[in-house]
Amino acid sequence: MTSHPLYGTTAVAGVGLRQFKRGAAPLPERSLLVEAILDACAEAGLDPAEVDGFVSYGDDKNEPVRLMPDLGTRRLSYSAAVWGGGGGGIAGAFGVAAAAILSGQASAVIVFRALAEGASGRMSAAVMAHHLNDHLLAAGLVAPAQMCAIRAQRLFEHHGVNPALVEDLVRASYHHGRTNPEAVAYGQDFDIETLRTSRWIAEPFRLYDCSRENDGAGALLLVSAERARDLAKPPVYLLGCAQGAEAGWGDLMENDADDLYATGGFRAVARDLYTQTGLSPADIDCVQLYENFDAQGVMSLIDHGFCTYENAAEVIRFDNLIAQGGALPVNTAGGNLAQGFIHGIGLPIEAVRQLRGESANPVAGARTCLLAGGPGAPTVSSAIFANAVL
Amino acid sequence: MNHRLDGADAPYWQGLEQGRLLLPRCAHCARWAWPAGHRCAACGHIGVVWEERPLKATLYSWTRTWHRFGMTESLDVPYVSIVAEVADCGVRLMGRMDDPAPADPRIGEALTGRIDATLVGDDRIPAIIWSRTA
Repeated sequence: MTSHPLYGTTAVAGVGLRQFKRGAAPLPERSLLVEAILDACAEAGLDPAEVDGFVSYGDDKNEPVRLMPDLGTRRLSYSAAVWGGGGGGIAGAFGVAAAAILSGQASAVIVFRALAEGASGRMSAAVMAHHLNDHLLAAGLVAPAQMCAIRAQRLFEHHGVNPALVEDLVRASYHHGRTNPEAVAYGQDFDIETLRTSRWIAEPFRLYDCSRENDGAGALLLVSAERARDLAKPPVYLLGCAQGAEAGWGDLMENDADDLYATGGFRAVARDLYTQTGLSPADIDCVQLYENFDAQGVMSLIDHGFCTYENAAEVIRFDNLIAQGGALPVNTAGGNLAQGFIHGIGLPIEAVRQLRGESANPVAGARTCLLAGGPGAPTVSSAIFANAVL
Repeated sequence: MNHRLDGADAPYWQGLEQGRLLLPRCAHCARWAWPAGHRCAACGHIGVVWEERPLKATLYSWTRTWHRFGMTESLDVPYVSIVAEVADCGVRLMGRMDDPAPADPRIGEALTGRIDATLVGDDRIPAIIWSRTA
């Protein structure tokens, strides 16, 4: 038990997710977002007009004030976003939302991300536009896949991590997606040969090493823990949240510290998160792991203390990563690879569903879930959720 | 071209236009500082000097791009992009590399660079193209 102000003092009371094939959403982007927010409020039994705060990340284009007419918002008192163009800020958004609630600046805060190709264009292009400069262009580097590929190459070639490890992570993702009716991989038997024979994107990445974008929107309603206990769904508590970067990591044009280069950038964030909560990797019952690319997912697991460069092969094994008996169930709805990719917003939603016992792949007795944000981003973040204040 | 003269790294781009690799170091403690900035956090001094470095480096990491991403139309796929650690200063630069195919580039191998350009739309961006040191 810890006395940190974030520990168990706010909770997710409702979630909403609308997901479609990329370019195929039946509604405009903002309408998708409104529906996801309405769903989250309906779950909680809270009048959407009472939502008074909004937090997003990743350069979302839906400025909260524009949602007010549809939601009937009476008073917008807090709108904020975590800096950064990638998914690094996703977990940090919960910390920002919690800070607003705990400091009395808002009482019911929606954490959201919405993305439809028609309105926002390709997400990868948008993420890259955030970073693009002439140094990158001159090198022919224009996409997140290439930037992450260069880091992955160093992980494999220099640090000696077996490149085949990523296959277990991909297989576990598809295994979970197969039984999740909301997943892009629902009902599909995934053959690892699909990955091995898919076309090269940027070595060492083939197509199936990469997350593929969806249209959609996700929303989570955060309120004080006290208020959550009066709402319709069992509270899923935020136990801790950390974001940012340490010296030697950041937007450094590949000049990150040598010992940080082939990481996801989480070492300091993970350290702070565990210190804050008094928890350790052994206390984490499942992980919702942002994998923009599978190798970055491996780096993220290493950064969060679940394994090391040296023993990664012992931990990142299919049997160990699945909900049915694994010690480290990862991406139990399928994750960005096999559930769908709306800039990662499906991951905290699965964290909540898993801790309520609503997952398509329930982890027996799960009490805690780590949410790891987008690895490799200059600003990264992680959070821990739980279904009881431990 | 002119937007490249707006940032703290303008001398880098001007150097490449003139056929030279110029990199910044603290005017006080001589620490190499890249990306180019304004203040040396190690000693607190404001201001850099630009020094020429030879086009020698070691390969830090690499990727070979096969997918035709937008804005890469002037490059034949596949092409190799690398991070090169410039000799004797530790500064890492992003660049392109002559593809050693069918062999792969190797992390740690010695590289020699030449200055060329990458065409993006109508813009000819100065670029360093590295090759295996013979």
